[in-house]
Amino acid sequence: MDKIRQNLFIYSVGVLFIIILVLAAAGVIDLYIQTVIMFIGVNIIFASSLSIVNGYMGEFSCGHAGFMAVGAYVSSVLSVTLFTANKLTGAPLLPPSLSVVLFPVVILIGGIVAAIAGLLVAVPSFKTRDDYLAIITIAVNFIIVTLINNMAVVGGSRGFMGMKKVLYAMKDVVPFPYILFWVMTFAILTVFIIRRFVSSVYGKGIIAIKQDEVAAEIMSINTNRMKLVAFMFSSGLAGISGGLFAHVIGYVNPGSFSILKSTEALVMVYMAGMGSLGGSVISAILFTILLELLRPFQILKWVIIPLLLILLMQFRPEGLMGDKELPDFFPKLKKYYKFK
Amino acid sequence: MLEIKDLKVRYGNIEALHGISFTVDKGEIVTLIGANGAGKTTTLMSIARLPRPEAPTVIAGDIIYDGESLLNVSPDVVVAEKRIALVPEGRHIFGNLSVQENLQIATYALDKDANVKDAYEKVYSLFPRLYERRKQRSESLSGGEQQMLAVGRALMTGSNFIMLDEPSMGLAPVLVYDMFKALRQMNEENMTILLIEQNAKIALEFAHRGYVIDTGEIVASGTGKELMENPDVKKAYLGG
Repeated sequence: MDKIRQNLFIYSVGVLFIIILVLAAAGVIDLYIQTVIMFIGVNIIFASSLSIVNGYMGEFSCGHAGFMAVGAYVSSVLSVTLFTANKLTGAPLLPPSLSVVLFPVVILIGGIVAAIAGLLVAVPSFKTRDDYLAIITIAVNFIIVTLINNMAVVGGSRGFMGMKKVLYAMKDVVPFPYILFWVMTFAILTVFIIRRFVSSVYGKGIIAIKQDEVAAEIMSINTNRMKLVAFMFSSGLAGISGGLFAHVIGYVNPGSFSILKSTEALVMVYMAGMGSLGGSVISAILFTILLELLRPFQILKWVIIPLLLILLMQFRPEGLMGDKELPDFFPKLKKYYKFK
Repeated sequence: MLEIKDLKVRYGNIEALHGISFTVDKGEIVTLIGANGAGKTTTLMSIARLPRPEAPTVIAGDIIYDGESLLNVSPDVVVAEKRIALVPEGRHIFGNLSVQENLQIATYALDKDANVKDAYEKVYSLFPRLYERRKQRSESLSGGEQQMLAVGRALMTGSNFIMLDEPSMGLAPVLVYDMFKALRQMNEENMTILLIEQNAKIALEFAHRGYVIDTGEIVASGTGKELMENPDVKKAYLGG
């Protein structure tokens, strides 16, 4: 009985997951709501990936959308050429029905390539500290977007499409809301893995770096290597969120990964609080819903959201949750929440 | 165990140590005493091999530990393989983590098959206070408890050589005495200790040997007792 109670939180996430899937498969929640749920999932991955670097490690990466773009393009090009008839390779390279099994693999490959891109950026960047890292990552964001803009193979600034056909190919095998399933699965896995990471002895290393680099060094933490690992991990997750984002919309163009997208992630992380994973999840949910609610205001929403951010900084500079997690605010939750 | 040979270091263009030499033998408590800016902390930073900008650049001389030079060793290896721990000035504990988590980070340095439970027990038996507060955020501890935590954390790394930078700083006199008693107890359990102090009186009382350092040079040395009776030392550091 105790065991069930301790894991109640995880079970309720699982039950919610199944309910949403069943409702979506039965057509009770319409496609618009489904898309919003998927955006929430994508944003949870994106925000929590940035919270590793900006929140837990206390460095400042400003160009996470660049890594998202890498993941989005790599996995889109892979899935389109592998599973559908397309302009690049003509006939599909693999039988389209295989997409059901290989879809998560394609997304993961996008993430791995993004992680490698992250490593390439991190090696020179972490020779600097603080503001300089922010400047370098902004530059990287621009470089990646400009590169894609000038790659005719993937459509340049017109963008790249065909991912919807992959989804149709999957639905031809067995009808099931695949993309919704995978977005939610990846989101839950991401939160779970990051939670495990930051509560492990190894992961405590990045929290140590944020607090005090000297102290981290005398605890035998190789701060340079630790920063590289964390940055790679974080950009890899951003790549995964990019891959999923591309398949949710069915179309990517370089414009969607501009500095504005990076800013969205920053807003989510700072709204959440630096170094609160629960906060990142909550603020990803709130922020996505807010964006949808403000859609009628069009460009004005980019006046309203920064204004909210200014108010937040004014009245609660540490963000919604600071570096605390939900059970720190509601100690009773601890009974239902054993997450190690 | 540790031998510093003619060590010269500089920060930028400013030479901070002008060739100091001293030794620490196994099982000893050795203290470096001196005024502000004499180069005490610089010496410890150099031994811990911390990277710039925290630590200075070595321009001449050598740091030899167990027969091997430390000059080309990275800071994480100094702790994890050479087993030299540093308790830095100002404690540098991880304030937003609990006491237990602070100690947990230090187990990072231990080997995979090391007995972590024993290490915790050792620290908690030396500082029972920390056990009482193990769940508390460490920034909420009192100054004395934070210092205990900093020493406990250094113990957790499994080191047999520990360097302390001003363990008495900011502590009430009674706590200073307790801290030194704990250090002596650690020493009796085979810990070699290199200690920096401004509070020369208590340092010399507890140390086996001592060195007096002044503006980057060693000006006097001897056993604790000898230094306490040395008229120059008395005049400059012991208040007459």
